Amino acid sequence: MSPAPDPLEAALQALSAETPRQPGSVQREVWRRLAHAESTPTSRTQHGWWRIEAAFAHPAFATVFVAACLLLGLFLAEVRLNRAQHERTAALERGYLQLIDPLLSATHLPRAESAAHQP
Amino acid sequence: MKRTLLVLSLGLVAGTTAHVGWFAAKRPAPVDSLDTQLAWIRTQLDLAPDQYRQLKHLHEQLGPRQLQLAAEVERLRAAFARFERERREAGEVDFLEVARAAADSRSLDRECEASARQLVSAATRVMTPEQRQRYLRLLAPALKDAAADQPL
Repeated sequence: MSPAPDPLEAALQALSAETPRQPGSVQREVWRRLAHAESTPTSRTQHGWWRIEAAFAHPAFATVFVAACLLLGLFLAEVRLNRAQHERTAALERGYLQLIDPLLSATHLPRAESAAHQP
Repeated sequence: MKRTLLVLSLGLVAGTTAHVGWFAAKRPAPVDSLDTQLAWIRTQLDLAPDQYRQLKHLHEQLGPRQLQLAAEVERLRAAFARFERERREAGEVDFLEVARAAADSRSLDRECEASARQLVSAATRVMTPEQRQRYLRLLAPALKDAAADQPL
């Protein structure tokens, strides 16, 4: 005596017979469109901006950013000061040498690069 | 959006203010006088207050003569440039005037060298041997010129 057929199995078979198979091209098309949407410049920009906004929304990140700007400003000022100091040393040396020897022409005088004499 | 722009502006303002403020506070003084040059020499040579006083007195005494010589050198250089210009443009020069300027130039060269030697040797007398060495190193370009004719 064979067992009675399972009604659930029959229902599942009926369902698969009624659901039409998705053609492979539809799936590919969906993925293609998604990829295209993600790779457009507008989408990338929007995504990037959204990430920046999310970062700046954190008070800790905003504080670190402002502090970094401040330190960068100080660093660039130090670089400028260093250069100004070198130029000043060269100018002092030039002026003093010309005072000592008025015959010394400008071509004999030290330039800013070679002026950093250390005692 | 508003918050992001606010933080960005704040960072920009903070960085610019720090840069300008720090540079203005630490900017080196301009080179405008003999005092500035002597203060530089004092730092370079680690001069004691007494040495600095003597050196300053020496420069104040001999400096005006050097400046006068420098003005004379400039005048002669301008004269030679004018002779050269005339030679190119007119094709002739006043040889008498050129000869007179050349004689002036030779005499001025001797005077400049003697004056420079006097100043340098007087300055080195107030220094220690180590300071003297450093001072002469600083003056190397000037001394090289002078040494071409006669050693100091």
